[in-house]
Amino acid sequence: MASSSVTRSRDLRLQGVAASPGIAVGRVLRLDERGRHQFYYIGVSAAQARMEVRRLREALEEARNQLRDIKVRLADELGFKHSFILDAHLLMLEDSRFIQELESEIRTRRVNAEWAVRSVADRAIAVYKQVSDPYLRERTSDLEDVATRLLTILSGHDKFDLSKLDQDVIIVAKNIWPSTVAELDFGHVLGFATNTGGLTAHSAIIARSLNIPAVVGLHDVTRVAKTGNLIVVDGAAGEVILRPTKSVLKSYIQKRDNDRSNRHDDAVGSQAAETIDGVRMTLRANVELPTEIDSLALFGAEGIGLYRSEFLFLNRLPDLPGEEEQYEVYRKLADAAGEFGANIRVFDLGGDKLTLGGFEAEQNPALGLRAIRLSLRVEHIFRTQLRAILRANLRGNLRVVLPLICTITELREAKRIIAEVKQELADAQVEHNAHLPIGVMIEVPAAALMADLFAREADFLSVGTNDLIQYILAVDRANENVAYLYQPLHPAILRTIGHLVRVAEAAQVPLELCGEMAADPLQAIALIGLGIRTLSLVPGSIPLVKNAIRSIEYDRVKSLMKEAMKLKSSAEVEELLVRELPQQAPRFFAAWSSRA
Amino acid sequence: MQERKITISNRLGLHARAAAQLVRRASQFTSSVHLIREDTGDEADGKSILSVLLLAAPCGTCLIIKTDGEDDERAISALAELVEHKFGEEIPDGVF
Repeated sequence: MASSSVTRSRDLRLQGVAASPGIAVGRVLRLDERGRHQFYYIGVSAAQARMEVRRLREALEEARNQLRDIKVRLADELGFKHSFILDAHLLMLEDSRFIQELESEIRTRRVNAEWAVRSVADRAIAVYKQVSDPYLRERTSDLEDVATRLLTILSGHDKFDLSKLDQDVIIVAKNIWPSTVAELDFGHVLGFATNTGGLTAHSAIIARSLNIPAVVGLHDVTRVAKTGNLIVVDGAAGEVILRPTKSVLKSYIQKRDNDRSNRHDDAVGSQAAETIDGVRMTLRANVELPTEIDSLALFGAEGIGLYRSEFLFLNRLPDLPGEEEQYEVYRKLADAAGEFGANIRVFDLGGDKLTLGGFEAEQNPALGLRAIRLSLRVEHIFRTQLRAILRANLRGNLRVVLPLICTITELREAKRIIAEVKQELADAQVEHNAHLPIGVMIEVPAAALMADLFAREADFLSVGTNDLIQYILAVDRANENVAYLYQPLHPAILRTIGHLVRVAEAAQVPLELCGEMAADPLQAIALIGLGIRTLSLVPGSIPLVKNAIRSIEYDRVKSLMKEAMKLKSSAEVEELLVRELPQQAPRFFAAWSSRA
Repeated sequence: MQERKITISNRLGLHARAAAQLVRRASQFTSSVHLIREDTGDEADGKSILSVLLLAAPCGTCLIIKTDGEDDERAISALAELVEHKFGEEIPDGVF
C-alpha cells in the first residue's frame, strides 16, 4: 500500500469504549462514507494514479454502454421515444468538464477513482443543497444516480478488494452501518475501530454477535489511521494502538494467542445454567444474522429469545423480503429452536436502524415513526410478516414480540390484525398453526409503568434493556459525547426491572429479558439478583455468563441486590458488585476485582 | 457574438431533464455557448451538462445567453426558443 511511506513506528494509543472483547492485530482498511455508501479511500502513487485514471475511463465507458442499452430496451419494450433522464445521465458521462474534473482529482490529490467520483459528485451536490428552490434542491438524485452507477462499476471490476491487502484486516470507520455489514467479508475482518458509538451502538452489537474484537467511540481514529497501517485493537481494554513498535506488537500477539485459548470453554455448552444453590436460569440467544442460527447448539442456547427480524431488510431496501422468503427463514428458526422455541420480534425498523422508503427523514428518529408504530402504519408489510410466521409455526414453537409498545391501543390493534390474518389463512385453508403467543416488549418507560395492564392482555413480557435504558435516561447510546450516561446499573434502571419482576410474578406472566446487560457477567448477575430468570444474549457470550451463574449462590446475590437498591448511583452499585462478587464467587469473579 | 436575456419560466426550473435538452441543442452548433445567471453572476458552459446543472436556476431566474461563432445567430434563437417553450415540459409522455 502506498501509505507505507507515512508509517512511523511509534505507538499511537487511542482510548475508546470497549465494545467487544478480544485482541485483534492486523492492517487497517479504512471505510469512508458519504450518504448511504461506504467505500475505500486510498492514497496512490503517481504511477497508480495513471492506472486509476484508466479505471475511471473504463468505468465511464461501461456506464455509457449500460445507459445506451437501457435506452434501447425502453424504446423497444415500452415504446418510450424519449427518456430525458437517461439522456441527462448520458450527457453527464460524456461531459468533458465532468471527466476533466474527475481526472484532475485523481492526479492532483492522488486518490483512487472511487474517491474522486465521490468527492466531485459531493461538491456538485453541495451546490445544489444550497439552492433555495425546494424542487431543484431535491434534484441531487440525478447526480447521485450517476455517481452510484460509476461507483458500482468501479467496485465490481478490479476494485481494491480485501484479497489485495494483507490477510489481517481491521475495519476503521466513522460508524458501521447495518447495510455495510452485509457487504463485508467477515472471513477477513479481524476487528473494528470506529469514531462514534457507545456500547450498544449497532456496530458494537454486530461485533459481539460475530465474536470480533471492537473498540468504538474513538472520536477521530479515521483521521489518524490510514489503510495499510498496522493496528492493534484491544476490545477488552477499549484501546487501539496505531502503528505499534515491534515490542508492543509482539506482546499483543502473545496476549491475543493466550486470550483465544481461554475463550472457548467447550465443556460449558452442555451444562445447565444453574447456581450453586440449585436455582435454574434459562439462557437464550439473540439472533440477527442467519449464520448465527447454526451456532446455537455450540454455545448451549436454550432457544431464541430475540430474533431481530428487521435484519431481513439488510442491504436490500427498497425491496421488501416477500412472504415466501420470510417463511423459509422462520422455518429455519423454528427448526433450530426446537422445543425451546423462538421469539420473533416483528420488524423494528426506523430509528437508528433502517428506514423504509416513502417516509421523510425524521428530526428525532428515536422518538419517531418506528417499530410497532411503523408496522401499524404500513399494515400490509406487517400482515405479510404475520402470514409467514403463522405458516412457519407448524411445530407451534414460535412466539411474536411487539417492539416499542407504549399504549394499550397499540397492543389491541396488533392483536386484532393478528386475529384477522389467522382468519384469512383459515378461510383460504392455508396450512398454519394459530397457537402463537404474543409478547409485549417493555422498552419504553410508559410500558414499564403500565406493565400490570399489559400483563393482563399479553401472553408474556420481554424487557429490552438497550432501549429501556436509552429512554429512561434520555441518552443517545450512539452519541459518544453522552455515552457515559448510558448506565445500566443506574438505580432508576434497577428499580424499573425490580418493579417488572414483581408485576410479572403477581400476574403469573412469563418475563424474559434481552439486551446487552445480559451479556455482561457482572450485570447479568445483578439482573438475576433482582429476580430475572430468563436472559437472552448474543450466542458467543452464553458460555461466559453461564460460568458466572454456575459460580454464584442465588440467595447471596439476592441479598446483595437488596443492598444495591439502597444505593444512590450507578457508580456506587458497580463498586458494591465489584467488591462483593469476587468474595462470593472467587472462581469466576476474582479477575474482575481489578476492573473497577 | 450574440447576447440575449431570457427568463426561465418552466415550473421546475433548470433541472436535469431541461438541462439535458439545452446542452444537446447547444452542442448542435459550432459556436461557443455561455449562460450567465443575472442574479448571482454564476457562469456556465452551455455545452457541459454539469456546468449547466450547477447553475441550479429555478423558475423565474433571468439568464443571459451568449453565443459566439459562425452560427451564433441561429444558436441563440434555437436556445431562446427552447427556454421560451418551457423545454416541452407540458409533454406528459416519454418521461422516464
